[in-house]
Amino acid sequence: MKGYRKYFLKKLFWFAITLIAAVILNFALPRMMPSDPIATITQRVTEGMNNQNAVMQIYREYARKFGTDQPMWKQFFIYIGNLLKGDMGVSFQQYPRKVSDIVAASVVWTIALQLPAILVGWMIGNLLGALAAYLRKGFDKALVPISLFISGLPAFGLAVTLLVIFGITLKWLPISGGYSYDMLPSFSWRFIKSVIIHYQMPFWSIVLIAIGGQAIGMRSMSIYELNADYVKYSRFLGVKDRKVVGYVFRNAMLPQVTGLALSIGTMIGGALVAETIFSYPGLGSTIMGGITSADYPLISGVTLIITVMVLTMSFAIEMLYGVIDPRVKAAQSE
Amino acid sequence: MTRKLCALALSLAMLLSLAGVAGADIPSELPRNETLYFAGQQWGAVLSWNIFGANQNNSLVIGGGAASRVIYFETLYMWNDLDGQLYPLLAQGEPVWNDEGTEITVKINPAAHFNNGEPVTANDVVAVWDAHVKYQTGTGVNGSTYISAVEAIDDGTVVFKAVLNDEGKPINPLELPNQICQLRITSAAWIAALDEKAGGDQDAFKNDPAYDIVASGPYAGSYYTDETKIVLERDDNYWGVALWGKLPAPKYLAHIFYADNAAGRAALEAGEVDVSQQFNSDVEKMWLEKGLPISTYIDEPPYQLGLVQPSAIYNLNIPVLNELAVRKAIAIAVDYDQINANAMTHQSATFEQVPRSLFNTTEGQQAAYDHDAVKDLQWAGKDIEGAKALLDEAGIVDSDGDGWREYNGEKITLNAVCPNGWSDWQASMEVVAATGKEIGVEITTFYPEAAEFYAVFQNPDQTQYAIYMQSIGGSGPTYPWNSIRQAMSGEFVGQQNNGSGNWGQYVNPHVDEIIAAIPQTSDEAELKALYTEAVQIYLTDIPSFQLMYRPSLFHTVNESVWTNYPEQGDEYGYPPNDLTDGYGVGALYELELVNP
Repeated sequence: MKGYRKYFLKKLFWFAITLIAAVILNFALPRMMPSDPIATITQRVTEGMNNQNAVMQIYREYARKFGTDQPMWKQFFIYIGNLLKGDMGVSFQQYPRKVSDIVAASVVWTIALQLPAILVGWMIGNLLGALAAYLRKGFDKALVPISLFISGLPAFGLAVTLLVIFGITLKWLPISGGYSYDMLPSFSWRFIKSVIIHYQMPFWSIVLIAIGGQAIGMRSMSIYELNADYVKYSRFLGVKDRKVVGYVFRNAMLPQVTGLALSIGTMIGGALVAETIFSYPGLGSTIMGGITSADYPLISGVTLIITVMVLTMSFAIEMLYGVIDPRVKAAQSE
Repeated sequence: MTRKLCALALSLAMLLSLAGVAGADIPSELPRNETLYFAGQQWGAVLSWNIFGANQNNSLVIGGGAASRVIYFETLYMWNDLDGQLYPLLAQGEPVWNDEGTEITVKINPAAHFNNGEPVTANDVVAVWDAHVKYQTGTGVNGSTYISAVEAIDDGTVVFKAVLNDEGKPINPLELPNQICQLRITSAAWIAALDEKAGGDQDAFKNDPAYDIVASGPYAGSYYTDETKIVLERDDNYWGVALWGKLPAPKYLAHIFYADNAAGRAALEAGEVDVSQQFNSDVEKMWLEKGLPISTYIDEPPYQLGLVQPSAIYNLNIPVLNELAVRKAIAIAVDYDQINANAMTHQSATFEQVPRSLFNTTEGQQAAYDHDAVKDLQWAGKDIEGAKALLDEAGIVDSDGDGWREYNGEKITLNAVCPNGWSDWQASMEVVAATGKEIGVEITTFYPEAAEFYAVFQNPDQTQYAIYMQSIGGSGPTYPWNSIRQAMSGEFVGQQNNGSGNWGQYVNPHVDEIIAAIPQTSDEAELKALYTEAVQIYLTDIPSFQLMYRPSLFHTVNESVWTNYPEQGDEYGYPPNDLTDGYGVGALYELELVNP
């Protein structure tokens, strides 16, 4: 237990260091873009105004509101002070909306789309990869090229293909939105059915890509493990094949679990392609809009959430490894 | 069973996340035969309903320029892009100048009332103006340059007083009607309540989302909005029945927030959108090849009404661009037909149809100058040999034989810049760059993100961008004077954060005199002479050049549910303003169902 505590504290220390570095980078990197978000906003809100002095007055007013007229170090400490109070600031582009409100409004859609898609893609992909490694022959020969093809497809291309085939040509599924364009949200089965139907194409456009990648990874790991000395030795000793396979896939799963944790950690970034192609609500397109318009608070806020989630998931996995694979803990606590 | 529970949970979670803002009880399913769907006006979630707000992002409700969006809030007058006239909305009769030409009197339509039943009075107009000035909104800061005060004479009469110059004349008489037709009216009582709630705090006043704001428009009945759409319900007690003779045809106006043009286009083709304010490339293929019931304002090219002129601006901080020969050579060599084909897919009038000046394609603006006086200056483009001859004559030649011309001993290298993702603009810049190659001037394209683009070109000293795009011109009481000002006015030279005009830093004191004289000139012949001279100077000095004509609002409609949309030459004469802006709102009253 003492070894585990040391291992835990060491990991926690590095977690804290990484978090501090990430917060600094989250603040600094967006502001290093060669942009002037105030100019963009002013251009938009003063369209049609004929008095340049009035335009300048509005520019200065925005600069004052957003604090961009302050020195960078001062902006940083205001940012940190607000963060400690749980305030990620006010979006420039969606002023006066708070970053936290923007995230809250979209995050449910993002999680509802991403989490099941990541889990389903991960499970099916790993199952197929393990089966290919174990069964070999025809199944393997068919799975590998199909998986390579699907995982190699750009997400954009696959999403558009699904849209054209199932949405536009066959008209089986709706082409855009989170629910029917002629509905308002309500507690009715028709609305729920509409949500489920609209969910299908964005969901499968993510799942199909994930399956291919996971299957290839799992197949390689499984083949590696199946040829390991302990497998040969176990078989030589007459250990039942079922038992051996269980160990093999448990070992092969370890890097896959790490991959899953990181996928879950980054999912808050949104499924940009699926959201854009299918006009599906979510954070992805919001973040993209924030980046193109140099909306510093929005970019910093969302990247901070992603950072914290990735770090938390990595930390959790490290802790889990310490329990499920003592070799990791032993190696790390030396 | 588990699957059903998951589905239910998912739906409930999304339902809760939507947490829409609704004014009243709009049905959960919008009857298709009662709803008019829009695309391309609103991008992203609505932020506010506050007409004093800094950033409402509520374009279906608060938008437009001189032709203001008047379906929810109303203005005193509606601008008609087609004939350049103001039509009364909340006002009754024409605006009347006093004999000294220093103030405008407007009568309020006695029938006008807000959606809460209270009458619209002169006091409401005064309260709106005073709040804009007091809280230093964009309207207040900009408008008070031209309007010194707004006063109520009685409940039905309001006077707009001009800011006067040293000679006792309005500093810009064109600006009074321009401000008046853009002033959205809410009630004085509502303003007073918000004023009290904000306690004098400017940000609190402007940042209030104003969910309960009072309005007088035909769709100020109730509304619903969330992260994905906005729906406006018709106010069946709308006062404007007295004006229009009936209620507008659709019971609901709805706008889905599509992620991009492609999604909006797919919805238009699927019949889920009725009115599309988007650039739909190759629009004619929708009806010619796909057989869809889709149409535009004009049946043949250019399909749309060209009101603005996306232009290539020369940065005169760059020494080689101070050479008129270089500016002119590039401008006359550009293949504008290719721009029209590639960038606008023939949705722009050609420069043979509407020769370049500084004015848009409407009859009113085209009549403003003497065509014969400038016709020798109006190039149509693709004059490669002429361009080469100009450069040779100016001594700008390829002396080292590498295929590129030199200036002061150095190879000329320019860039052509516009924001990334603005595909039609990018296509135009590609054509300009290709032109350079043909005349031996290296021009490379560069597409920064919009935020970077604005940051750079609004700096008056910048030398990063050589040729870059901006739109010149428009429609409203200040045009076409404002087009000349945007293209050449010295008032913008050296101005930081200049988004308003003359971005290339062109200096010509005589042009400034013309710009100062036009608003003060009422004699038509004199006015025409001034406009003609301005066009002559523009086409001679070429501080920038038009690349195409473009509508203020694209107007493409699907007639599978609704029909009788505005068409050029129809009996109604409503402009193609997507049925929402200025006088174009009248088309809402003429819509008919395809299958009643």
